[in-house]
Amino acid sequence: MRGVRRWGPGLLLVSPSIILIAVFVYGLIGWNARVSTSNWRTAVRDNHFVGLDVYKELRTDERWSLDLRHLFLFTITFIIGTLLIGSFLALLLDKGVKGEGFFRAIYLFPMAVSFIASGIVWRWLMNPAPGDRASGLNVVFDKAHLSFLSNQWWQHPDYGAVALAIPAIWALSGYVMALYLAGFRGVPEELREAARMDGASEWRVYRHVVFPHLRPVTLAALIILGHISIKVFDLIVAIGGKQIVTEVPAVYMWVLIYDSRDYAKGAAIATLLLVGISVLIVPYLVYTVRQERRA
Amino acid sequence: MATEIVVKDLTKRYPNGFEAVKQLSLEIGEAELLVLVGPSGCGKTTALRMIAGLEDISSGDLYIGGKRMNDVPEKDRDIAMVFQNYALYPHMTVAQNIGFSLKLAKTPKKEIKERVRRTAELLAIEQLLDRRPKQLSGGQRQRVAMGRAVIREPQVFLMDEPLSNLDAQLRVHMRGEIEALQKRLGVTTVYVTHDQVEAMTMGDRVAVLRDGVLQQVDSPTQIYDRPANLFVAGFMGSPPMNLAQATIDRQDGGFSVGFGEQRVAVPSELAQERRLEQWVGKPVIAGIRPEDLEGSADGGSELGGEVVRIEELGAELLVYFAVDAPGPKGQPVAAAVTGEELEHAPVTGATGSIFCATFEPRTQVKIGDRVETRVDARRLHFFDPETDEAL
Amino acid sequence: MSTTTAAPPAVAPIDERTRRRRRVSATPLKYIVLLGFAVIVLTPVYVLLVTSVKGFSEIDPSHAWSLPQVFTIDAWHQAWTQLSPSLKNSFKLAIPATILSCILGSLNGFVLSKWRFPGADFVFAFFLFGMFIPYQAVMIPLTLLLDDIHFPAGIPRLVFAHVVYGIPITALIFRNYYSTIPNDLMEAARMDRAGMLRTYWYVILPLSAPAFVVAAIWQFTSIWNDFLFAVFLITDPSKWPVTVALNNTAGSLVTPFNLQMSAALLASLPTLIVYILAGRYFMRGLMAGALKG
Repeated sequence: MRGVRRWGPGLLLVSPSIILIAVFVYGLIGWNARVSTSNWRTAVRDNHFVGLDVYKELRTDERWSLDLRHLFLFTITFIIGTLLIGSFLALLLDKGVKGEGFFRAIYLFPMAVSFIASGIVWRWLMNPAPGDRASGLNVVFDKAHLSFLSNQWWQHPDYGAVALAIPAIWALSGYVMALYLAGFRGVPEELREAARMDGASEWRVYRHVVFPHLRPVTLAALIILGHISIKVFDLIVAIGGKQIVTEVPAVYMWVLIYDSRDYAKGAAIATLLLVGISVLIVPYLVYTVRQERRA
Repeated sequence: MATEIVVKDLTKRYPNGFEAVKQLSLEIGEAELLVLVGPSGCGKTTALRMIAGLEDISSGDLYIGGKRMNDVPEKDRDIAMVFQNYALYPHMTVAQNIGFSLKLAKTPKKEIKERVRRTAELLAIEQLLDRRPKQLSGGQRQRVAMGRAVIREPQVFLMDEPLSNLDAQLRVHMRGEIEALQKRLGVTTVYVTHDQVEAMTMGDRVAVLRDGVLQQVDSPTQIYDRPANLFVAGFMGSPPMNLAQATIDRQDGGFSVGFGEQRVAVPSELAQERRLEQWVGKPVIAGIRPEDLEGSADGGSELGGEVVRIEELGAELLVYFAVDAPGPKGQPVAAAVTGEELEHAPVTGATGSIFCATFEPRTQVKIGDRVETRVDARRLHFFDPETDEAL
Repeated sequence: MSTTTAAPPAVAPIDERTRRRRRVSATPLKYIVLLGFAVIVLTPVYVLLVTSVKGFSEIDPSHAWSLPQVFTIDAWHQAWTQLSPSLKNSFKLAIPATILSCILGSLNGFVLSKWRFPGADFVFAFFLFGMFIPYQAVMIPLTLLLDDIHFPAGIPRLVFAHVVYGIPITALIFRNYYSTIPNDLMEAARMDRAGMLRTYWYVILPLSAPAFVVAAIWQFTSIWNDFLFAVFLITDPSKWPVTVALNNTAGSLVTPFNLQMSAALLASLPTLIVYILAGRYFMRGLMAGALKG
């Protein structure tokens, strides 16, 4: 009884937020799933329940398969690229260099820029035109006698998605670097010193003392990057617009809603995106909250 | 306005079943300073927090000033608390820290200012009123924490190890100040510490706790002279009491206690008081404090042994010597144990015990010598080996 | 160094020397690599700046990377004309949304870390999930719901959406920050007879500045840079925030490059300025794991 008097006010204070989240996150997710099982395929709202028809449609939809392929290529390149570069930069900065703040500020600044704006620049940089009409990076390659590197970038029918990952890597390596740097610095200096006293070379110190500490960081980075990747929308639209060659599920959904008015299918894609992310996020959330409890 | 505290069968039970405080019963009189002392984890802080209202009472009753306080929220209990880490509001000045509770009580500003000034004077911190906590030394912060409590003129003061973060010399100084302050203000105070020296010097009465159970509550002298059980005997007093298994025998019309081969005669009044005749031939645990073992230069020896360790403290000389009697729990144990469980004391490897005696400072003794001590047999203690209780 | 008779002790000093040598030579190399990456990261900035001040005649492929021969702010004028209404919209969106978001986050973070109730951790996880969802999954029903309840159309809808969907991240930032405040401070306030709201107002809020800065920077940046919400929730082009306007007009493929670049730069200016001025706090938040999510 006394307990309620104590924590009651707290619960009351957060209850508006709880209600808002309950409605606008969970409620709407449910509603969206409901739309995906309805017959609302045109501008005319039609709520009839038709079950998983639209999902079955997607399975045989070539455009959807293409989108998935693009997403897959994008994700792999993006995650590997950011992890490698981010961790490498953190490694370089770990021991502290003069001007560390300056370097960190530079590597992190892409986070302040919208994907739309940076998309415009990268679109120019990754201009697919070859030879005389080349601009952007293709020009640099030509001038540096590395013409073999000059390519179609995002216009490439098969590997265009890989090119799309480049601006994303540019944007998020800094964030991964910050994560790893915090991770590196979370290793108590005494541990490293003890290892050195025991005769370990610097490399060994890293390998046996520091890197094991970084597993949670890598896990967190993977989860965060993974979920950003699945959601990626702004960047694709900024560079490729609605072109099929760059399309990913998130863009397809938008096109379906605004151009084709196929709400049910759009909702289905959205639900699938959600499921994909939940598979990553839910275990991770459970894991972090439990870790916190234990601490 | 009587402000005595009565605690009856107070228990704190956690969801996993662990009981931090087990049926604690105590009465603390008006204006008394009661010290709750015990090793870490003994439940003293938990008991204090239950009185404060910061922890819920699982079962039992708490009465302050005759009123039952179990369900009264902490802010209505008229109690002020001094925290171990002071818990000063970092963004407020000293004056604001001290006056905060008055501000919350909507006291007029002029009155707050006046009372803060008076309190600061009482604690000799008037010159610090405009500083922030991070600009203060540990001792100064401690006084601000006290000021915050004092200004409220509460019924009860609760202090949770207020001196444990200060260095040794400051601690000695503040002990006296806190005690004087308490006497001057006449507020009932419950004081928690793990330092038995603090307990002995400050308390009107001392309550010794172990594993949530009250061992003994008495005046400091009584606790020292008549410990109720083995734990209290070993915990209070520094260096701690020498304890060993012993046997009681009849000797010369009276009784004697035997440590290994050595026998010490027991004065007949003591033997009568402790009913030693019931223990003849049975094992007991006997104890004698180091200061009651005097190094004797002449032959009058009752207890002696080979010296294994010497501590020259300047004011006294502690000589540790081997006695051929097993430790209280059977294993060999070093007498140099302070406040920890006797079972966890370092093992020496010798089969007997190590006794500690106080010698005149600068006496020429070295390790390996054989020393003799005279026992002040009136100050012998006896304990039942089964129950650990004093005879 | 002889390999047959070299005694083991000879190995140790050489090892030391090589190690020292390696570390000394590592530093200039390190700088070169770090600078190299810095150049790569800043290349887009170079392109933006340089192209945005070129005249129309210089933006063809042959002059792609060279500095402008004629420095002109024509492109900037045009960008301003095209984007200034949407810039205003973005400010009308980002500032109220950030303020509300931070206040809400502070209150939520406070309760979830310092004035907990049974199930507080579950509620926190309940919130956190909302931060990770693909917002596409709620866009359709969101527009329908806002229509059904006749929520004022245009920027107010965006403000509302950002405040609601900003609940998780702001709660995370503040909760993590408040958990570093020692609990006995809360207990002292309890003993001083402060209830929940007064404890928040007199004790917690004055200590919250660092968290407010981190949360405000993060929210302002995400809200200003958001495209998805705006594109779904705003149908009237006159109410577009700058990201949508940028994508649809000034940044579209048919616009000349210098205008594209100047528009992109103009649209990014507020967040870049915030970053330059206060980026230190942003980074501090990142480094301290305040944004672990």
